[in-house]
Amino acid sequence: MWETVAQAVINGLLIGGIYALVSIGVTLIFGVVKIVNFAQGEFVMIGMYISFYLANQFGIDPLLSLFVTMPALFVIGVLVQHFLIRRVLGPNDMPQIFLTFALSLLLLNLALMLFTANYRTVHTSYSDEAYHIAGLYIPVAKLIAFVVAMFLSGALWVFLHTTDLGKAMRAAAQNRDVAMLMGINPDRVFCVALGIALALAGAAGSLLMPFYSAYPFVGQVFVLMAFVAVVMGTLGNVIGALIASLLMGIAESLGIQYVGADSGLLVVFGLLLLTLAFKPTGLGGKAR
Amino acid sequence: MKKHRQKSIKNPTEPDKTLSKRQDRRQFLIKTGGILAAGAFGAVPLRGWAADPVNIGGLYPSTGSMAQIGVGCVAAAKLGVDMVNAAGGIKSLGGAKLNLIISDVQSDTTVTRTETDRLITGNKLSAIHGCYASALTMIASEVAERAKMPLITGSSSDQLNKGRHYTFTPFARASQFAQAQLQMAKLVSDKPKVAVIYENTAFGTSTSNGLKELAPGEGVEIVMFEPYSAGFTDASPLINKVKASGANALFSLSYLNDLILIVRTVKQVGLNIAINGGSGGFVMPDFYKNVGKIAEGLQGVAHWNHDINDDAQKVNVEFKKRTGDFAFEYAGGLVAQTFMLADALERAASADPQKVRDALSTLDVSSGYAAMAPGGKVKFGPDGKNIYGRPVGVQWQNGDLASIFPKEDARKPLMKM
Amino acid sequence: MKPHTRNLVLLAIGIVVAIALPLVVTSSFAIDIFVRILLFSFIGVAWNLMGGYAKQLSLGHAAYFGLGAYTSTILQIDFDISPWIGMVAGGVVAMLASLPIGWLCFRLRGPYFTIATIATAQALMLIVLKFRDFAWGAEGTTIPNLGSAPLMMQFESKAAYYYVVLGLLALGLVITYLIERSWMGYYLVAIGEDEDAAEAIGVNAPKIKRDIYLISSFLTALAGTFYIQYIYFIDPPTAFNFNISIEAALVSIVGGIGTLWGPVIGTVLLETTSTLLQSWLGNSIAGVQLTVYSLILMAVILWRPTGLMGMIGEMRQRRVSRKSARA
Repeated sequence: MWETVAQAVINGLLIGGIYALVSIGVTLIFGVVKIVNFAQGEFVMIGMYISFYLANQFGIDPLLSLFVTMPALFVIGVLVQHFLIRRVLGPNDMPQIFLTFALSLLLLNLALMLFTANYRTVHTSYSDEAYHIAGLYIPVAKLIAFVVAMFLSGALWVFLHTTDLGKAMRAAAQNRDVAMLMGINPDRVFCVALGIALALAGAAGSLLMPFYSAYPFVGQVFVLMAFVAVVMGTLGNVIGALIASLLMGIAESLGIQYVGADSGLLVVFGLLLLTLAFKPTGLGGKAR
Repeated sequence: MKKHRQKSIKNPTEPDKTLSKRQDRRQFLIKTGGILAAGAFGAVPLRGWAADPVNIGGLYPSTGSMAQIGVGCVAAAKLGVDMVNAAGGIKSLGGAKLNLIISDVQSDTTVTRTETDRLITGNKLSAIHGCYASALTMIASEVAERAKMPLITGSSSDQLNKGRHYTFTPFARASQFAQAQLQMAKLVSDKPKVAVIYENTAFGTSTSNGLKELAPGEGVEIVMFEPYSAGFTDASPLINKVKASGANALFSLSYLNDLILIVRTVKQVGLNIAINGGSGGFVMPDFYKNVGKIAEGLQGVAHWNHDINDDAQKVNVEFKKRTGDFAFEYAGGLVAQTFMLADALERAASADPQKVRDALSTLDVSSGYAAMAPGGKVKFGPDGKNIYGRPVGVQWQNGDLASIFPKEDARKPLMKM
Repeated sequence: MKPHTRNLVLLAIGIVVAIALPLVVTSSFAIDIFVRILLFSFIGVAWNLMGGYAKQLSLGHAAYFGLGAYTSTILQIDFDISPWIGMVAGGVVAMLASLPIGWLCFRLRGPYFTIATIATAQALMLIVLKFRDFAWGAEGTTIPNLGSAPLMMQFESKAAYYYVVLGLLALGLVITYLIERSWMGYYLVAIGEDEDAAEAIGVNAPKIKRDIYLISSFLTALAGTFYIQYIYFIDPPTAFNFNISIEAALVSIVGGIGTLWGPVIGTVLLETTSTLLQSWLGNSIAGVQLTVYSLILMAVILWRPTGLMGMIGEMRQRRVSRKSARA
């Protein structure tokens, strides 16, 4: 009995790592640029396709392709901020929401046009392997994804708290006007924020490839969970998003196990709404 | 207005950019064009004008979550029409050619509803076929019923035969699939303990209901019975439950996407369990392409397979030339359906949908492409069911699907795991 | 001609055209497009009351659409109650639901509010999916074919459906017009501009928000019932479709939020574009149509965030300032 629970928790934790990568990106963008990026899932998809083609054409392992997807998506992030998002920044948040939504629609359908709806899978030597410990099993690919995700999250935290640029980003997040008075260039900071957030999404894509298939709609599947985690952990709070993602992964897994195979999302949404009822700004407290 | 409408829906004689093997296609088109030309000369004797083409509508999910399969279905539909036309078209209508008009239902129920309507009201059709997924076909058949347009389909839901006069299902029903699956479980184990997981729309629900009803009669114990919502991020929680149930066989009634995850996860978990994938995504070439060797030895059920008879083999060869993959269950069935429509048109000697419907209801064939089904005979009962319809059990052997059950349909021996 | 009289004449012409349209253009295909335009204009108008005037950006209106749809369908199939009554019942259910949902969401600000509304719509869909015995689960159901049954909101001709939804749109527009010109209208705009400032001068924001939410959800539910009667099929993804929430907001934004005719203009533009694109590009290569559509959307958002009505407003401003400059 405890075996089942423990296994469910492990399953949830591991997939939670991926949710974390996606949600941290969303929360970072919100914290710094103050917009909600509905297209985050599509950038994960782009990361997956890049990994797929590198693996397919050149035989590069998806984990190694991290060194390509992350920089590539960083650049894309900067471009998106500079040419698109910058133009709709302002007091009215409606254009912002719809811009990222339209962007999501665009990327999804471009992918459909260019790559067709076919599922693209990559088989690595460790794709279907798992460690068996004490009657529990831990899939190798997912474990690696989890470890790398945690490492990247940690690296981000260090960046935000020790480097000048990181501190500048946090300053801009806390109070844009004062930050400007201090000589921080908001556009530059925003570009970096977008770049990092999208790089994380790209990383999630690469990490997913060994055990998940790439197809145009794949982003939509992950972005929903990511959003729930972002709100629960308080918008803008990176650590909040991380912890909430892991918790949501576990909640989903336990929900499937004990409420019903079709109830994972229901449990997660239930928790979200409960949280909002009692703590309207999420559990994370002020953005850090 | 008319020009507008015809442009809005795909015309199959335009060069198709989405399918692969352009070179082979060009050659095949030239060949067919030659045959058609020759046929036209023979089939249009002294009249001096070509008979009006007969329009057949096809509704398939070319985009959305079932797009891979939908694209294959469209290719099969075109193949069927090309074959009928190459054989001279509808002779009782002066050699009229079949004209296929395809509409994309985007794997979405609402779109199916509106597209079926648009297809019927925007064109002069004689019959329609579609939509692969039972959930989508259910809606199309409702629209067809109200529009008094005959619909022929390979979708398996038993609901499609209830209270309808315009829907015809020449192939095995979900309840028959269920029975076959149960019997096949006994091939691998004497006391099968089965975990059933099924996608919660029409296809999964219909088949699983059949399983629940028939299991006790077949001596099979069901130890887990759970619906799930298609499109999950992780199959581990589900497989975890399967493991906890103590089952020694897994029936997964799923479409392609989820099936890939489920099968791979079972391998990861190291769960030693026989998987019967039902039909759906299991009997598609893409399944093997995505899971690889893990698929070897896995069993499933289908309403058509490319080794059931020589005609099927011929269709398989042609389909492979056009798409690069072997002809999957629904595709082969589609070609047969096209010939059934041609047969009905021939006997009705009219393109009027009502007359075509009546001709379909009296269909009775046992040879030729129209009878290309397990059992080799097609005759519709009053509820639109084929009274001779039955499924065939299949197994993945060396990257190909071989029919292995029941004995009279087995083309290859059962591969022991 | 004075602007006031001119507007009345335009309105009169518009009404005549609207009523005569299905009699002149009889193609089933075309009427279907008109019905869609009228329906989404209505949904947009319902949304606009809350999202346009009071700037409460809800992306969860599909929840009420779905509630209306399921209420009337359950009443019809299980209790043989006419959908006309079911439509009103659905509206009432929606209003009741808007109370706790509003309580939860209105305490939140900005994007939290929006995401919470999305979450409630999704959660509602998941609940309906789960309770299959009550509401047919994922399989959904079709409305039984009654042929011509006007009392049960089923008609043999498409034109009849056109007139029903035209009536609904007229209802929505009249309500919007009346609210716009009332005290409530001023309060809504004040809340939309700056909620804290409005409260500071004595506007009871929570009450106003709650009231407009009641109206908005009621109207949206009516649309839900109509839609299901029109397509005679219901399942959770159809009834609680996220795209409906998006479309409701989108047509209002593109046409001009917080204006009477904004949603109508927005719908006409977007639906026509969508239909044309589908005709030209539709089934050739998957994804082309929506790619172009999203590009157009992005162009509008980037260059004309105030929507078309905003554009017309700006044009008028320029004309006025030119006139006064000359004077």
